[in-house]
Amino acid sequence: MGRPQQKLISFTIDGRQVQAPENMMLADAAKLGDVEIPVFCYEPKLGQPVGACRMCLVEIEGIPKLQTGCSTPVKDGMVVHTRSERVQAAQHGVVEFLLLNHPLDCPVCDKGGECPLQDITFGWGGGVARTRELKRHFKKPVELSPLIAIDRERCILCYRCARFSQEVSEDHQLVLAERGSHSFISTFDSHPYISHFSGNIIELCPVGALTSIPYRFRARPWDIEGAGTVCTLCPAQCNVTLTVRNERVLRVLARENPAVDDGWLCDKGRFGYQSFHVDQRITQPLIRDGGALRAVPWEIALERAAGLLERARGQACALAGGSASNEEGYLLARLMREALASEAIDTLAAVPPRAAHMLARPQLQAAVADIEHADTVLVLGCELREEAPIIELRVRKGVRRNGVRLLVATPQRSALDAVAGLAVRCAQGGEGELAIALAGALQGAEAQEGAHAGAAERAGVTPADLRALAQALRSGGKDVVVIYGQRLLRTAAAAQALLDIARELKLEADRQEREEGRTCGLLGIPDGVSNARGLLESGLAPGYDPGYRPRQLPDPDAAPDAHAMAAGLAGGKLRLLYLLGADPLRCGLPEDAWQAALDSGAAVIAHADFITETIREHAQVVFPAESYAEKEGTVVHPDGRLQRLRPAIERQGEVRAGWWVIAELARRLDLDFGLLGSERSPGARALEAAGIIAEGLSATRASELLLASVAIYAGIDLEQIGGKGRRWQQSAGAGALPEPPSAPERERAAGTPEPLNAYRPLFDAPEAEYSPALRFLYRRASGRQPAPLRSEQAPGAPAERAGESNGELGARSELVAGLVIRHVAGAGEGREQR
Amino acid sequence: MAEAQLPVSVWSPGEDVVEVRRAPAPGAARSFTRAFLETLRGLKTTFARVIEGPVTIQYPEEKVPVYPRFRGRHRLHRFEESGLEKCVGCSLCAAACPADCIRVVAAENTPEHRVSAGERYAAVYEINLSRCIFCGYCEVACPFDAITMGHDYELSDYDRSDLIFTKEMLLAEPLERTPLRREDE
Ligand code: SF4
Ligand code: SF4
Ligand code: SF4
Ligand code: SF4
Ligand code: FES
Repeated sequence: MGRPQQKLISFTIDGRQVQAPENMMLADAAKLGDVEIPVFCYEPKLGQPVGACRMCLVEIEGIPKLQTGCSTPVKDGMVVHTRSERVQAAQHGVVEFLLLNHPLDCPVCDKGGECPLQDITFGWGGGVARTRELKRHFKKPVELSPLIAIDRERCILCYRCARFSQEVSEDHQLVLAERGSHSFISTFDSHPYISHFSGNIIELCPVGALTSIPYRFRARPWDIEGAGTVCTLCPAQCNVTLTVRNERVLRVLARENPAVDDGWLCDKGRFGYQSFHVDQRITQPLIRDGGALRAVPWEIALERAAGLLERARGQACALAGGSASNEEGYLLARLMREALASEAIDTLAAVPPRAAHMLARPQLQAAVADIEHADTVLVLGCELREEAPIIELRVRKGVRRNGVRLLVATPQRSALDAVAGLAVRCAQGGEGELAIALAGALQGAEAQEGAHAGAAERAGVTPADLRALAQALRSGGKDVVVIYGQRLLRTAAAAQALLDIARELKLEADRQEREEGRTCGLLGIPDGVSNARGLLESGLAPGYDPGYRPRQLPDPDAAPDAHAMAAGLAGGKLRLLYLLGADPLRCGLPEDAWQAALDSGAAVIAHADFITETIREHAQVVFPAESYAEKEGTVVHPDGRLQRLRPAIERQGEVRAGWWVIAELARRLDLDFGLLGSERSPGARALEAAGIIAEGLSATRASELLLASVAIYAGIDLEQIGGKGRRWQQSAGAGALPEPPSAPERERAAGTPEPLNAYRPLFDAPEAEYSPALRFLYRRASGRQPAPLRSEQAPGAPAERAGESNGELGARSELVAGLVIRHVAGAGEGREQR
Repeated sequence: MAEAQLPVSVWSPGEDVVEVRRAPAPGAARSFTRAFLETLRGLKTTFARVIEGPVTIQYPEEKVPVYPRFRGRHRLHRFEESGLEKCVGCSLCAAACPADCIRVVAAENTPEHRVSAGERYAAVYEINLSRCIFCGYCEVACPFDAITMGHDYELSDYDRSDLIFTKEMLLAEPLERTPLRREDE
C-alpha cells in the first residue's frame, strides 16, 4: 500500500493566505496559519473526528451554517473566519453549555493549571454564567480502576476516552451509560477499567474528569519540570516526559514521536516510575560479609569487585539486561575482553549475533511507522501486547484505519487474534520451526521436501494452516511487514528461513524506494531486554565486536553465549558472573540451568536496583544501578533508531553512573578508557573518584566514544539523535555493515538445555512489583506475592509526617479487579417500574 | 591628528573647561545674622517642642498601632463551626507569589482523616518569610480566603530557617500583640 502522497492547496483563514495539504482538517490546517481553533473532542490520534463538542465552530463563506472545524477538510480556495461575530457568539454559547453542569472546582482539581477547559473558557468564553439552576451531581471521586479516578461531574462528554477504548486499544470497556444530560462515562456494569493501556485516557481527557490516582494531588504545573527521555522498560522504547518535583519523578507523560510510539504509553511505562523512589531500592554499594550483604563505601566495593575480577581473569562472564545503555554495554564488553581476556558476554535476550547480523541489512529493516501503511502484517512468534505493547497499538491502527491485513502465527492465543484475518497456532517453542516451514511453503514443493522437510510437524502446525498462511502472504500485496519475536532465532536456521521468506515476498527495499513510500521488511522484537539491539551492536555479544564485526577467535566455542555460560558456570569452567542490570532467574532464560549456575559458587558482581533472590543469595558485590530516569546515554530501538536517555532527576542516594563504575573497575585492572576525568588534574581526579565533585562531562564523552567506535553509527552524533532519535540505517554508517554471513548458525552443542520459549507478561517485572500502584497487576501477571514495601508496613502513615516523600506511598486500598454482582435481574424484570 | 587616531574609549580632556561660579562673599553684617540670629530662629522651634513633652515610643514595650489593612505576617484560617482548615492546598497562592516563597504539598482527605472541607488539603504549607516581600498577592489569589495577611511585623530571629513558617505556626492564634489603629487615629 505504501505511504499516501499529499497535495498542497491554499485557502484563506481570517484574511491570511495559508498553504495546507488537501483534506487536512480545518482545525489542523488553521495552525499552519497561526490561527487557533479551540477544540475539545478533536484528537487526530483517535481516528476520525466525531464532532461531539461543537467548540470548533467556524464560518465558511458559501456555507450558510457554521461548520465544525474539526471535521471539515480544507479545500482549495476556501475562505474561513474564526473570529467573526457569529462565530464568537457561538463559541460563547458552547462554553456556557459546557459549563452548565461543570462544577468549576478548579482549586481541588488535578487538571487545574493545565486544563484545556480553563484555557478555552478564558480565551473564547463569554466570561459570565447566567444559570442559577442546580448542577447535576455524581458521587466523586470514584475509582474507575486502581490507577484512574473518575469525576463524572467534570466530564464534558467529549467521548475521547470512550473512543480510545473502542478504537485505539480496542478493549471495548469504556462506554457512555444513560442518555442525554444523564449520560456518564462508565465501564459496563462498573467493572474496574483495567487494560494494558488504560493510563492514556488520563492524558486524553481535556478536563479533570479522569485523573491519575498515583499522581493525585502531588503537584501543580507550576511546581514541576518536564524532562524528556526514553522509557526503557520494554523494547518499544516509548518517548516520555517525566514530571519532576524536587528531584522526584511524579508522573510519566507521553512525548509524541510518530516514528516510535504515536503518543501512547502502556501502563507499565506510565506508572512504573514509582519504583524509582521506594525504600527497597538499593542506593548504596553492598558487599557480602559473613553471609549477609552489608552497605559499604564505594571505594571498598570497587576494591572488592576489582579483586574478584582480577582473580577470575579468563574465567569471567557477563550478562546484561534491564535498561543497560549502549555505553555501558560497550565498556563492559571491552572490560571483559581486554582487561579480563574473557569472551563470555551476552544479554538476557540471548539473541544469536550471527542471526542478528544476517537480518541486519538496512534494505530488510522495517521501521515501526511502516507497520501502519503495509498491505499485510505478519506477527510471528511474539505476543506484542506483553512484549512491546505500543507496537501492538500500531498494528491495530493499521488494521482499523488503513485496512492492513493482519496474520498472526503464535504458540498461544494472541490478543491480536480478534482483529487478525488469519490466526495460526504452533506448538510452544515451535516458532522457529514454523518460520522454516513457512519459508518452505513459500518456496514451493521442492523446498518443502528438502531442507525444510519435517519442519511443519516439529512446529506443530497443521498443513492446512501452513498453506493458508503461505497463501495469505503470497497474495498479501507488495508491502509485507513481518514482526517476529527474536526468541525464534534460537532455532538455528530460523534466521535463514526469515531471509528466505523476505526474498520470496520481495521485502527488500533500498533507501530510495522507502522514501518513495515502500513499507516492508522485518522487525525483530527482542525477548524482554529493552536495549538488546543496542547492546549487540555495541559489541556486547558473544564473538562479535561493535557494529556486527565477527571476532577472529581460534575456536568458535571460545565465546559462550548465555546458554553456554550457564553450563560453564555450573561446570566450574567459569568462576565469575558480572550482571549488568540482569537477573538470569527472572527472564526468558531456562531457570533450572541458571539456578544450577548460580549455585555453583561462582562469584557474582551485580548492578542491581532491587534485592531479588539472585542478589540476596549469590551476589558478592552489588553496585546500586541507575533507573532510566537517572541515566545518560543512548539506546537502540528494535528498528535501529538510536535514542538518547537524558537524566531527569539526580541519582538517588549514593547511586553512581553505570558506565563510571565499569570504567573505574577497568582502571583498577589497568585498562584506561580515557573517560575518567583525564582532562583534570590528579587532585581533581581524586576528588572525582571520591564522589566529591561531579564527573564532568564524561557521560557525553562515553557516548562519543561509543558513536566513534561502532562503525555503523558513523555520521551520527548526539546532536542528531536529539529528542526524536535517528535510525542508523538512514545515515552514512549503514554502508559500514560487514557482509552478512550466508550460512546459518551452527546448531547449539548437544546437552545445552533448550530455553523455554515463552514470553514474560509485561507486568511481571520489578518495576511493577515495586510500584505500589502496579502491584495488583504484578500479582496477577506473575502469580507471586509482591515483596512487602517497607513504607506500606506503617499503616496509615500520615502524609504530613512523610512530607513530600509520602509521595506515592500514602496508604491506599488496593482494589483488585473483580466482578461484583450488585443485582440479579430475572428475565423481563425492568430496572424500575414506573 | 595624532589624537584623532586614539581609540575612542580613551578619554581626553578636550576643550571642556570646568568653570566654578561663586556667590559674592557676604559682608560682616550678613555673616553675623547667619551665625547668631538665624540659629536662634531655629532653636525657637526646638524649645517650643520641649514643653510639649517627649514623643518617643518606648518600643518594644510600646508599639505603634498599625492600620487595619497593614500587611504583616500571614495567617491561615479555619472554619469557625467545623474547625476544618479553609485551605485546600490548591497552590494558587504559590503560583501568584512573586518571591516564590510558598511551598504547598497537597494530600487527600479521607473520612478518617479529614483536614479541610474539600477533597484535598495542604499536607505541607510553608512560607519562607525571609523571602516574602509582603505584597499580599497570595491573599488575593486564594479562592477560599484561607490565607490573609495578618498584622504582626515582629519577625526577626536568630536563624534564617526559623523564618520558614509552617502550617501549624500560620494556623495558630498569634499572641495578640500588634495594636490596631483606631478609627479616629
Ligand atoms: S471523561 Fe474526559 S475524555 Fe471522557 S468523555 Fe468525559 S471529558 Fe471526555
Ligand atoms: S510500551 Fe514499553 S517502552 Fe512504551 S511505555 Fe510501555 S514499557 Fe515503556
Ligand atoms: S505576600 Fe507576596 S511575597 Fe509574601 S508570600 Fe504572599 S505572595 Fe508571596
Ligand atoms: S492558601 Fe488558598 S490559595 Fe493557597 S493553597 Fe490554600 S486554598 Fe490554595
Ligand atoms: S472539536 Fe470539533 S466538535 Fe469537538
